[in-house]
Parts: sequence; C-alpha cells; structure tokens
Amino acid sequence: MARPGALAYLAWRALVAHPLKRLFKWRGTGLDRFRAAYVAEGLAPAEPARRAAAEAASACISCGLCETGCDLATATPVVRALGLHAAFRLYSRTTMDLALAGDALERCAGCAGCEALCPTRVPIARVLAALRGGGVGPGRGGRPG
Amino acid sequence: MSGLLEADVLVAGGGMAGAIAALAARRAGRAVALVRRSPGATALSSGAVSVAPDLGALAGEPLASRRPPLEAAARLAAARPDHPYAVVGTARLGEALAFACEELAAALAPFDDRRRFLATLYGSAVGAGLCQRANVAGDLLSVRGLLAVAGFAGHAGFDARLVAGGLGRYVARGGPEPRAVEVALPAGLGALARPHELAGALDAPGAAEALGDALRAALPAGARAALLPPVLGLDPGARAVERVAARAGVPVAETLSDVPSVPGLRLWRALEARLAAAGVRVVQGELAAAPAPGEPVRAGDAMIQAPVWILATGRFVGGGIARRGVLAEPALRLAVQAAEGREAGVHLAVRPAASLTSRDRRRPQPLLSAGLRVDHALRPLDERGRPVHPGLHAAGAVLGGHEQATDGTGLGVAILTGYLAGLAAAEGR
Repeated sequence: MARPGALAYLAWRALVAHPLKRLFKWRGTGLDRFRAAYVAEGLAPAEPARRAAAEAASACISCGLCETGCDLATATPVVRALGLHAAFRLYSRTTMDLALAGDALERCAGCAGCEALCPTRVPIARVLAALRGGGVGPGRGGRPG
Repeated sequence: MSGLLEADVLVAGGGMAGAIAALAARRAGRAVALVRRSPGATALSSGAVSVAPDLGALAGEPLASRRPPLEAAARLAAARPDHPYAVVGTARLGEALAFACEELAAALAPFDDRRRFLATLYGSAVGAGLCQRANVAGDLLSVRGLLAVAGFAGHAGFDARLVAGGLGRYVARGGPEPRAVEVALPAGLGALARPHELAGALDAPGAAEALGDALRAALPAGARAALLPPVLGLDPGARAVERVAARAGVPVAETLSDVPSVPGLRLWRALEARLAAAGVRVVQGELAAAPAPGEPVRAGDAMIQAPVWILATGRFVGGGIARRGVLAEPALRLAVQAAEGREAGVHLAVRPAASLTSRDRRRPQPLLSAGLRVDHALRPLDERGRPVHPGLHAAGAVLGGHEQATDGTGLGVAILTGYLAGLAAAEGR
C-alpha cells in the first residue's frame, strides 16, 4: 500500500526534517530573505526615513507648478521637457518605473526653487534626497539591489 | 523678525477669493495685509472662470440656448440651499464679477453676462461665465465659418487634429467648422520647451510677431479665427495674443489648458501685480496657530494685528481644509461641516473622510463639498450655528456646500464671496 507510506513520509518531512532544517540551516537575515523574494519584482525594502519621504511625496497632486521654478538646465531637451516632477509621478506608480526618472534626478541642481511653489507643501528637496539615496540617481541607473 | 504690522483687515490666502477680498476692502479705503504661503489652486485655472452651469440644459441643444451666467446662478441657488450662492444670495453676483474683471483687466475679459463656449485641449467645449482675454476670440458662438485649429510642429502638448475632431461635434449645435493645421515654430521657440517656457519666450519683442507671420502662412483660405495651444504669453501685460493676431490677420485665441497651466500662471501673475499696485501688504508665510481676530498673529517672519480677518485659505489643495483621518480646519480649528443628501452637520465631518465618498462618481460626493458653514454675512458658524467671532469672515473654497473643483461654480463663488467678505470686513472695521 503506497498511501500510508506516502503519508508517513510527508509527516516526517513536516514534523521532523523541516523544523530541524529551520533550526540549524542559516538562511540569512529577514532583510536578506525579503530581498531574495521581492527585489526581482522591483520592491526595494523601505527604511523608515525612506518611508517617511514616500508619505510626504504622496501629497503631490501632479499639478506641475514646481516645474515653473525648475531649470534643469544641464539635462537633455527630452528630459527637461518631461521635467523633474515626472519623478514624482513615476514614484507614485512603482519603483520599477522610477528608474526612468534617474536622469532627471541626476541633473537636479538642488536650487530648491520648486519648494516654495508647491501648493500642497511637499518637501521636494527631502524627497529628492531620499530618492537619490535609495537607489535612483547618479551611477546606479535606478536598478534595485 | 520685523515689528508688529497693523492693518484694518487681515486676509489669509492669496488665491482668487483672498485677492478679491483684499482688493474690495482696499477699494473701501482699508489698510489690508494678505498672508499667503504659495500659489494656490487659482494658479491651476484652465483659463475659464466658471460661474454657474445651466442645470436645466440638455445634451445636444444648441449652444446659444444655454442660460446666461447670472440667471443660471440664481436658478442653481434656488435648487441647492447649502450652496454659497444660496447662502449669500446672487443679487450682487454681477457687481462682483464686474469688479473682478475690472481689477484683473490685464488678464480677464470684461464681464457682459454672456456664456462663452471655449475649447479644451481635448476638443470639448466648456460654457464659461468669464474668461481670459486670450480666450475671447475662440468663443465657438462668435466664430462664423472656418475655425483653424493650429498646432505647433513637434510640440507634444497639443494635438490639433484631436481638438478639431472634437469641435466638429459642435457644428450642428451652432459651432464653427474646425480644421486642423500645423504651424512651424519660428527659430528660437523650441518645440520641446515646456509650456511656461514657450509662453515666456513669446512675450519677448518680435517672437509673437514671428509666430503670427508663421500662422498667417499656414492658415487655410477663408479661416475666420485661429485657435492655438494655451501658451500665448505668460506676462498679462505683454499682450502676446493681440500681437500674434495683428500679424496673422485673423482673431487669435488659445484653448483652455490642463496643468501645468500657463493661463493659471498668467491669472496668478495678474493677481499678484494688482495686489501690489493696490497697496495690499503681501506677507509670504502661513498663519501659525491663529488665536482670534484682534490679537496679534504670526505669519512667516511677521507679526500682524488686525481687528477683522478674512479666511480664504482654499479647500484641500490650498490647505484650508485638511484631511487628517477626519476633516479639520487647521488655522483656527473651526467646525467643518459636510452634507449628505438632506442631512448636514459637523457630525458628518467627524466621520472618517473615506466614508464621505460615493462609489457612483456622478452622484454628489459629500467629501468634496465639505467646508465651513457661514451665515449670510460670511461669518463662520460653530457647531450650534452661531457666528464664531464677529470679526471673522470666510470666502472661497474653504466654504462648504459646493464642489468647487467640479460643479462649475468654483471661481464664481470665490469672486462673489471674496467681494462680499471684503466689503463686510471694510464695514465691520
């Protein structure tokens, strides 16, 4: 009879072998396991500072008023035309798309001409600093991990 | 930090309502200080100043059969008792609109109680009570014959064929026959420039004229007017539209805009210039934890003292009403009211904001009409329906009872209540 044998094998795996493996085999920290499972899908782990920046950025209503105080002088014409606030719109979608705004972020001169124009008080400079520190911007190409 | 700034009237908010209130009080001879943080929702204006939609209009009716703005506003007030038009009455709406057009004559066309049908970027028509000077020649009812819809070669923000195709639907309702054409942008005007940059470049001497020449060359035979992208000048004083038209040989107008909006920036500039010229003291900053009218209050780097205050802080974009789990008025902690059907009151506003929306988006959304309740003199009322303070008035989108972004009365309410609050504040002093 194959059935009792199969059940016994499954019981051995579930009750003895697997718990022992969990106990004695080191599988990395929780952060490592999160990265292994999710980074390929573009979900970078969020540190508290970065999450706070994301919440501040969520007040953005994509009105574009900040663009009128943004020069982005050193960017290519196409990147200039898209504008720095394209980064915010992409940010509100997924971190995968955010890579497309890497060039604009890289060209931001940090003049802070935008922040006083924001009707909803998004701390634009702080959000940009978090985006650059979080894997988007100079030299990183925006790819996670 | 500077010393104490004393004024007769303190206005909080620099959008349309606050500016009109400040200008009305100023015209009555009062010393006015205006505190504003940043450009508010007024700078997002499409160019049209919506006063009142004709609630009785049917789709497909001739455009000319729509009721004029003042009559439509009176009917709207009769149908909606919570609406600011009903609370303060529409008897002085015409006077208020004429005042706004006179004060902002650099940007706005004179008020003549006619509904103008203005094309959007997507080829639909909006029936506006007031509009900017740059829109007047594009009124679908004023163009007889062929309307050239002119896009700029390589400019991605405007699709002339889309606009002309959409406007074709209005031919049977009294609109002109639209035809899309393409204009080559003169040298120096980059097609990839952002809208406000293109508009700023057109203000420069010679640029609008060069565009007018290029437009003239591209116009089809028999064109009676030309409709261009909403980038015709940023500085209201530079008169870019008139300069393009003079060279093109036909009346020229721009379409309404989406954000980021050049017409909105133009309107904001006109407000700022008029406030400065009228002698209103503009303070950059935010009212910090305001006590009550008459007491000194900190705004930015200044301390201001005024016996009468006008709260024109806007709705959600301007920050006059905040959504922090529940709805709140952050400056003075006034009671926020919401209405749902026939039920209204502060008890609705203390519910979670998310519960004040309706899944059917064509139905009224209580969340979007939440705001302060006021008496006929625009004094905010507390939970029991009594004025909070005799020297406190409110105007514009911070007032509840209207969905200012969507119900077609937003700037009309701002102008009427701003004007009346300014006059009331001037008297109350």
